[in-house]
Amino acid sequence: MATATMKQPVVAPCLICEQYNSSDAQLCKTCSAPTAIANDSAAMGRKPSIVSIVGESNVGKTVYLGFLLDMLSQRAGDFEAIPKGAFSIDIQQTVIGHMARRCFPPKTPMEVNQWYWAYYQVRRRAQNAKWADLVMPDMAGESLSAEVATPQTFGVIRNLLAKSEGALLLIDAAMAAHGSQNPDFFAMKILSYIDALRATKREEKVSMPTAVVLCKADHCPECFDHPRRFVEANLNRLWNLCKSRFENVEFFASSVIGSLGYATLADHEGVVPVPLHTALRGVLEPFEWILDQI
Amino acid sequence: MLELKKLSAGGRDMAARLLGRGKPSDADGKALPPRRVAPVEEAYDPAEPIVIDSDPFLQCVQLERFGAILRGDDKFRSRPDYATVVKKTLAVIDERFALVPEGFVTLPRTMTDAPGLPEEDIETEPFLLAKHAVTNHQFQKFVDAGGYSNLDLWPKDIWPHLIDFKDLTDVQAPRYWREGRHNKRLAQHPVVGVNAYEADAYCKWAGLRLPSESQWQMAATWRIRSAANTLRRYPWGDALDIQKCNIWATGLGQTAPVDAFKGGSAPNDVQQLIGNVWEWTASDLDMLDENGQPVVGDMLMRALRGGAFDTYFATQATGLFRTGLACIARTHNVGFRCALSLSDLPAGH
Repeated sequence: MATATMKQPVVAPCLICEQYNSSDAQLCKTCSAPTAIANDSAAMGRKPSIVSIVGESNVGKTVYLGFLLDMLSQRAGDFEAIPKGAFSIDIQQTVIGHMARRCFPPKTPMEVNQWYWAYYQVRRRAQNAKWADLVMPDMAGESLSAEVATPQTFGVIRNLLAKSEGALLLIDAAMAAHGSQNPDFFAMKILSYIDALRATKREEKVSMPTAVVLCKADHCPECFDHPRRFVEANLNRLWNLCKSRFENVEFFASSVIGSLGYATLADHEGVVPVPLHTALRGVLEPFEWILDQI
Repeated sequence: MLELKKLSAGGRDMAARLLGRGKPSDADGKALPPRRVAPVEEAYDPAEPIVIDSDPFLQCVQLERFGAILRGDDKFRSRPDYATVVKKTLAVIDERFALVPEGFVTLPRTMTDAPGLPEEDIETEPFLLAKHAVTNHQFQKFVDAGGYSNLDLWPKDIWPHLIDFKDLTDVQAPRYWREGRHNKRLAQHPVVGVNAYEADAYCKWAGLRLPSESQWQMAATWRIRSAANTLRRYPWGDALDIQKCNIWATGLGQTAPVDAFKGGSAPNDVQQLIGNVWEWTASDLDMLDENGQPVVGDMLMRALRGGAFDTYFATQATGLFRTGLACIARTHNVGFRCALSLSDLPAGH
C-alpha cells in the first residue's frame, strides 16, 4: 500500500528583509510579510518581482489593488492570473465584498501584520507569454507617510521600495483638481524618498518603472483626456521632479466609482461616503504598462 | 479603439461580432490581436452638418421632433399637408416606440433591497417608451438646430452653466464630441457625455420627455397586472446572460450600437434597458441610508437606471437596481431614452 509522503516545507529567508524564520511561522518575525511568499518562491525556484502601490491615505490603494486583482482573476485584458496562497485572495475578497454592498472596505491598519499581501503569477494569454511572479503588498497610507517623514520608522516599507521592480503612485486627482496642494506635496515626498533610496549618484536617474495614476478621475474627466497635461497643470511640482529624477515614468487616469453619495453615520454625527455604483475605468492600463517594463 | 476585456466565450463572440472582427479566437485567445497598452486614438470622422429645412413644420419632420408635430400649433394645423404628416409621424412613432402597459413597481426605499426593508409601491399608467436610447445621430439634430442656444429648453437656474456644456473642443455639444460634431463611426451608438439637463432639453425640444424612475422599472421588469403577478429581474427573464446585454463581463469595453444585443429586448421590443449606458430618468434620487436618512450627493442627484458597459457588478445592472448621479455630470457611460404619454397622441390613435 502506497503511503503519501509530506512535502518538506522549504524555509527561505524573507523576501523583504532577508531574515530567516522558523518553519511554522506564518509571518516574518522581523517585517511581518507572509513567509509563504519566500518559501513558495524558493520551492519553485522563481524570484518574484515586487510591485509597490504607494500613495496618500484614503487615495484608494486598497480598492485599486482589490479590483485589479479581481479583474486579473476574471481574465480581463487577456491576462491569466493565479493566486499563490489563500492569503493572496483576502484583499480582493474584502474589496469586492464591500463594494458590491455599496460600502468602502475598512482602512488598512498601520500595523504591518494586518496588511494584505498578494502573491500572483500573471501572464498574457494571447501572446503566450512567460509567467511573471508578482508580490503586491497593500501598504497603509499612514505607515507610508510615517516612513517618508521619518525613515526607518517602517523598515518593511524601506525594504519594499528598495527592492521594488515597479511602482504605482496613486494620486487623488479629485483633490488636485479642486486646488488642493497636498496631493502634489505627498507625491513629491514619496518620489523624493524613492529617489534617495535608489539613486546612488546625483546624475543617475531612478530607472524603476513608475506609473503615476490619477485616481478618482471620475470627478475630473479631463484626467482621462490628457493625464500628462493634467499632471503638468495641476501637479506641477511632481511633474518637474519626474522629469528631473525619474527616467521611466508614465501617467494614467483611473476610476472605480461611478457615483458617490453620502450616508449619515449611525450616531447622526457626520456623513460617510458611499459608492452608489461602480464603473471601472483605467484600472488595468497602469498595471499593463508596469508589467511590460519589468 | 475597442477592446476585448474578458475572455468568456459568449462575451468574446458577441464583442467580436460587434467589432466586425468575425469570429474570435478559441479559448486560448491565440488569434486575438495583441492588446494595446497605451491608448490609441482612432481618426475622428466628424458627421457632416445638417442642412435644416427653412419651413418650421417640415423642419420638425426632418429633425424628428415627433411630439412637436403632434402638439402642432395652430399655424401647423391649418396647413394642407398637416393630416398627412401627422399620419406619417404616428407611423414612425409606432415603429420606434413601444407601449409599456399599466402595472406596478416596488421601489426599495433604502440602498439595499433585503427583505423587510421599507419599500414603496407605485402604480404606473400605460405610456410609450422609445425602443432605443437616443443616438449621437439623433442628438446631432438637436445641436444643429441650436438646441443649446434656445433658452426656452433650459431651466433658468441652469442658464449660467450652459457655457460649460461643451465638447472636447469647447463647442457646445456632448462632452466627447469634437467641433460640435459626433464621430460618424459612433452615429448609431447612444449619445453619452450629456447631463440630465441636456437630456431634458433634448426631450423638450423633441416634444417628448424622460421616463420617471418607476416607469423605467416597469418597462424593465414588466410587472403587468395579471393573475401570475410575475416580476422579471431582466427584461428578458430572471437570469443574467452576457450575450443579451453590454456590461463589463461582456467584454466589449465600450458602448455598442443601440440596436445591438437584440436578444436582451423586453417583450415589447424595447432594447438595451440593461447595460450599454446608464439612462437618465426624470426622477430625483430618493433613497435612504441604513439610518433612514436621505442619501445625498455633493450636488442634486437624478436617478439613473440600467447599468452600462463598464458596470462591474452584475447585480448593479438589473431592472431593479437603483442609483443616482449628479444632474450636472456628463460622463462617458450615461445616456437617455425618451418617453411619450398616451395623452399626447391624437384622440383615437
